[in-house]
Amino acid sequence: MSAVATKKDTSAKWLEQFELTAANRLGAANAAVLEKQQKAIAGFAETGIPDKKVEDYKYTNIRLYLNDEFALKGAATRLRQSDVRHLFFGGHATIVMVNGRFVQELSSLKNLPREVIVKNLFTVLKATDTGAGREFNEQFDEKASPMAMLNTALTQDGISITVPAGYDCKGPLHLLHISSGTDKVLYNPRHVIKVGEGASLTLIETYRSVELTEKTFINSVTEMIVEKDATLNNYILQEEDANVSQNNVHQVSVGTSGKFNSVTVSLDGKMVRNDLNVNINGENSEIHMHGLFVVKDGQHIDNHSLVSHNVPNCFSNELYKGIIADGGTGVFNGKIFVKQDAQKTNAYQSNKNILMGENSTMNTKPQLEIYADDVKCSHGTTTGRIDEEALFYLQTRGLNENVARKVLLGAFATEISDTVKDTAFRVLLEERIQVHIV
Amino acid sequence: MLEIKNLQVSVEGKEILKGLNLTVNKGEVHAIMGPNGAGKSTLASVIAGKQDYEVTGGSILFNGKDILELSPDERAKEGVFLAFQYPIEIPGVSTINFLKTAVNEIRQHKGMGNMEAKEFLAMLKEKQKLVQIDTNLTGRSVNEGFSGGEKKRNEIFQMAMLNPQLAVLDETDSGLDIDALRIVAEGVNKLRNKNNAFLVITHYQRLLEYIIPDFVHVLYNGQIVKSGTKELALELESKGYDWIKKEFSEIPA
Ligand SMILES: Nc1ncnc2c1ncn2[C@@H]1O[C@H](COP(=O)(O)OP(=O)(O)OP(=O)(O)O)[C@@H](O)[C@H]1O
Ligand SMILES: [Mg+2]
Repeated sequence: MSAVATKKDTSAKWLEQFELTAANRLGAANAAVLEKQQKAIAGFAETGIPDKKVEDYKYTNIRLYLNDEFALKGAATRLRQSDVRHLFFGGHATIVMVNGRFVQELSSLKNLPREVIVKNLFTVLKATDTGAGREFNEQFDEKASPMAMLNTALTQDGISITVPAGYDCKGPLHLLHISSGTDKVLYNPRHVIKVGEGASLTLIETYRSVELTEKTFINSVTEMIVEKDATLNNYILQEEDANVSQNNVHQVSVGTSGKFNSVTVSLDGKMVRNDLNVNINGENSEIHMHGLFVVKDGQHIDNHSLVSHNVPNCFSNELYKGIIADGGTGVFNGKIFVKQDAQKTNAYQSNKNILMGENSTMNTKPQLEIYADDVKCSHGTTTGRIDEEALFYLQTRGLNENVARKVLLGAFATEISDTVKDTAFRVLLEERIQVHIV
Repeated sequence: MLEIKNLQVSVEGKEILKGLNLTVNKGEVHAIMGPNGAGKSTLASVIAGKQDYEVTGGSILFNGKDILELSPDERAKEGVFLAFQYPIEIPGVSTINFLKTAVNEIRQHKGMGNMEAKEFLAMLKEKQKLVQIDTNLTGRSVNEGFSGGEKKRNEIFQMAMLNPQLAVLDETDSGLDIDALRIVAEGVNKLRNKNNAFLVITHYQRLLEYIIPDFVHVLYNGQIVKSGTKELALELESKGYDWIKKEFSEIPA
């Protein structure tokens, strides 16, 4: 089969769907959006669903997880709050999304401050009086990943969260993404998070499956805008069933003196591919990106990140840690890009992994592309086995091998969970990490 | 309590212990001395259950049970403790937290329930006082950034917490300052009773002035070549090992 034919095969279905679902597209709400969707589907058609021939997907063949058998819509789900309540925590305001759509009846919004605006993206874009739709997809260019373009083209809705300028949202917002259903579906949720000038927000995203019986592919894109002097803490916990694969893009733009802190913890799911792209567009901003992934037998977790220092005097630090059990595959690809005039940039990156068992695989690829001369940049990566000496030490104190191993892996993970500032979420993370490390 | 018979141990094909015999009874303190590389730490590691060492012959019975079959944690649960010559650092694991797990694992083995938090804290306080270890050290990650002496003191603190029946102290005295040596030794003396025993590996007679041994053995070339009482330690201190080496250089392999 020639490469061209393969491309056609995997894109044809979605090109066709793009035409068929016109009425449900996000563009139905807004002409400017529609135009962008048409551009995106054309861009997507050039690659189709990426496989290993696409450089950025060298270690993750999406075609293994997403094929023509997936539909764009499944039968309606009928979840009650009792089905999802156990996934709430800390008394935080909780926005429940089911298969990419906001479900108000399942949500718990009594602790949501009045100032914070939470709406369907569709509703926001339908507004006629503003420039709604102008910002949509503006952070992506022709180099966007094919999966992001597919999302742009096919998305029907998602959540829009706006924190107005100057508002310090003290309590975290919990965005609970639920996958549920009995059909093989590809979802393309699209979210827009805006933190206005001088405002702050902690957004906790958790991914879980509830009453899910079929394979599901989540192709999600979240656009995040952190304005001048604003702070966004974005914590993510991915814990889907073995039926669920996801390509999850977080596209972030940070303004002058902005702060963006992300913690991405991936513990479960068939395949998880995270793209975290941070564009630093204002001076004196500070970026911290932390990640932890625990990959078990038959699972594949890929963290792909790009930090673009587009302006001078900014700081970025990235640390991702992986535990790869027998039969699991982990990928880390971290790129630091420093533009020619982004002098006085400080950019650090580190990836540390522990491999267990005979058949565990880790592919790590750090990339530095630096065009400025007055910068401090470093990257480092280590992949090793669990420390046998430490294991023996703990065993001589009476911990059996499994308990000792769990203690050591837990300690390895702590460095990441400790960076979470919200206590309730940190405790939840520690608990869930203990469940998944074996 | 501990009966080691004709123990032969190799590591990476090299024979290190060459038929070692040693019997330790309840209530006794045995000191083991011997030149560098004689096999003292090897003996300690094999008693504790380190996998890298291959036992090619002989046996170790602990309270009549063949412990060579047991994993290191099972030995610990039976009452064996090793204070390491070179305690390692374990970042991210606090001493107190893992000791809580250890205490409860050992209790479960004995068919007891988990220790009440209050009781654990009380014991913690008492043992910290016993070895005069700073609470700031025990709250930190195991040995991380500790000085050499602090690491040794932490080993003895852990011993006090786990209350083993047989404690093997591998050069716990090296690295301790004069005051610390006395404190640690006093701690050991307070823990001594008629049901437990200590195997104290040391190069220096000084420690044995504080912890008075019932027996002193010389380990040389993989065997215990000489045994005596505390006077033997004094003799070694003044004469060194040359006379031993001369006498036993012709040991058949
Ligand atoms: N893992 C190992 N691999 C190779 N050789 C080893 C290993 N462990 C011990 N040995 C060797 O075995 C011999 C005995 O070592 P051991 O550590 O038991 O000596 P020791 O009597 O404790 O010495 P010291 O007084 O210096 O602590 C040494 O020659 C040492 O190099
Ligand atoms: Mg030694």
